[in-house]
Amino acid sequence: MTDRGEVSLPRSRRAAPGVSRRRPVHLWQLELKGTLARRRALAIKLAFPLILVIPLVTAGAPPFFAGMLLTVLIATIGTVGTGVTVTRSRGSGWLDRLAVLPLPPWRVGLEIFFASWLVDSLQGSLVLAVIALAERPDPATLVTTWMMALAALAFSGALGLGIAALTDHAGEAMLYLAVILAPLLFLSGLFTGVPATGFRFWMAQVLPYSYLHEGFQLLLGGNPPYGEPLSFLVAAVVFLALAVAAAAALGGAVLARAA
Amino acid sequence: MTESTITRPWLRAEGLTRRFRNGRGVGPVSLGVGPGEVQALVGPNGSGKTTLLRCLATRTRPSSGQLAWFGSTDRQEARRRLAVVFDATAHADELSARENLSFFATARRVDPDLWEPALEEAAVTELADDPVTRLSYGMRRRVLLAESLVGDPPLLLLDEPTLGLDVNGCRWLAAALRARAEAGFATCLSTNDTDFVEEVATRVCFLMDGRPIRNAPLAELLAELGGTREIQLTYRGPSPAARVSQIRGVERAVDAEAGLLILGRHRDGLLSEVLATLGDLDANLVDLKVRDPGLADCFLRLTGKALHD
Repeated sequence: MTDRGEVSLPRSRRAAPGVSRRRPVHLWQLELKGTLARRRALAIKLAFPLILVIPLVTAGAPPFFAGMLLTVLIATIGTVGTGVTVTRSRGSGWLDRLAVLPLPPWRVGLEIFFASWLVDSLQGSLVLAVIALAERPDPATLVTTWMMALAALAFSGALGLGIAALTDHAGEAMLYLAVILAPLLFLSGLFTGVPATGFRFWMAQVLPYSYLHEGFQLLLGGNPPYGEPLSFLVAAVVFLALAVAAAAALGGAVLARAA
Repeated sequence: MTESTITRPWLRAEGLTRRFRNGRGVGPVSLGVGPGEVQALVGPNGSGKTTLLRCLATRTRPSSGQLAWFGSTDRQEARRRLAVVFDATAHADELSARENLSFFATARRVDPDLWEPALEEAAVTELADDPVTRLSYGMRRRVLLAESLVGDPPLLLLDEPTLGLDVNGCRWLAAALRARAEAGFATCLSTNDTDFVEEVATRVCFLMDGRPIRNAPLAELLAELGGTREIQLTYRGPSPAARVSQIRGVERAVDAEAGLLILGRHRDGLLSEVLATLGDLDANLVDLKVRDPGLADCFLRLTGKALHD
């Protein structure tokens, strides 16, 4: 170290060039590749939403109830996918390793969230694909509801990340998830519909699950009171942006826990 | 506590403490690790080694005291110049050692040309394309160490580095740490593997019950043991520890995992008197070992307690 406080470091040892560079170098690539490599778990993950959506669609379940179940499914996929995975990562010591890398915490949070969201989106897209094949809905409604589903998954993923900042145990994370998600789903009008005025009306406007519920109802031949594909598009963009910002902000809290 | 002779170390802790809600923890500790130094934190289980190392590694914020890396207190900046190995072998388990190493090396901005040699030096090249989850614990530890050694980070922090390593693995790691020191890099490790510490360390900080007992150059600590012998007695019967302690020249005599551990000044007749004491107590001698003392005896001398209970 010089008198000015600068540090002079020894040179690293060098080696001959020629190393393959086609390997995951970003955290989201590593996380995604790891998830895709667990083939049996991936198959179950992808089959899980199909087991629910196929009977619902083929049996002609009432759109309100079918939409409610599919929205609960999307919300659960997103929160569990991120929340429990991150909690387990902390238990294994993986987050300890990430925390001491020269990566800003917001980026770690964002990359974990992004990798999880990609897999969740695959699950969610399968649900939409089954509905598209069975119901042949209006393309504009299909596309905007699909975007709304992706945004709801992102919102749920950020929620999962927030839960992972509260606990070190996967089982406890599931409890938090139920406690937080249930009122949000209720306020989204999933169980009772959205009233025309009042607190619950306004809450439904600021929660993604109400838009998604209406989207599913439209796709399944229902006639929800506020269903408007353009509003789904705007809401999807807003919730996606909010989820990304929340994931980045939560990165530090997730890494700091149990430090 | 004696500090490093290097006046402006790369890693400096001043009055560092870390306390948990139950009151346990570590500190206050003051130490410095400079270029070319290998600082070992040695102590029994629960002595606070890992907690201290996690603070030094930027992972845990201390409750009080000051920490500086390369003259700065900026933890994020410090992470650009250090690598850490914790005791858990956490990897992206389904991916290969090569893929894992490429990620960690890229995050630390290590030249890709150095990735493959790091795997070769750790002797994991043949298994480097297998998923990490299929590797043995020892091989996963080697991969973990390769990921930290790649690119010669200026400051390396290792928690229990010899955990799971076989004899060859320990030799490889010792050689790598010595080469780092010769090249002017700094290392700080926590362990109770005193044989390994004697091979690689330049300074040793003994910890017990969360407090530093002594921090001094390895050579100085070993020199203080000159003229002493370690006697290990395995026996059946009543403990002769109290009686043996009273024999002239015996500095410490404690019951440990291996039997009765005696540290004494070498003199004619010492061994006979110890054995006679055993006979007086009707204790049966099962095994007897006499050897030159090492760091574990230094700890015994300082604390009156065996490092490995």
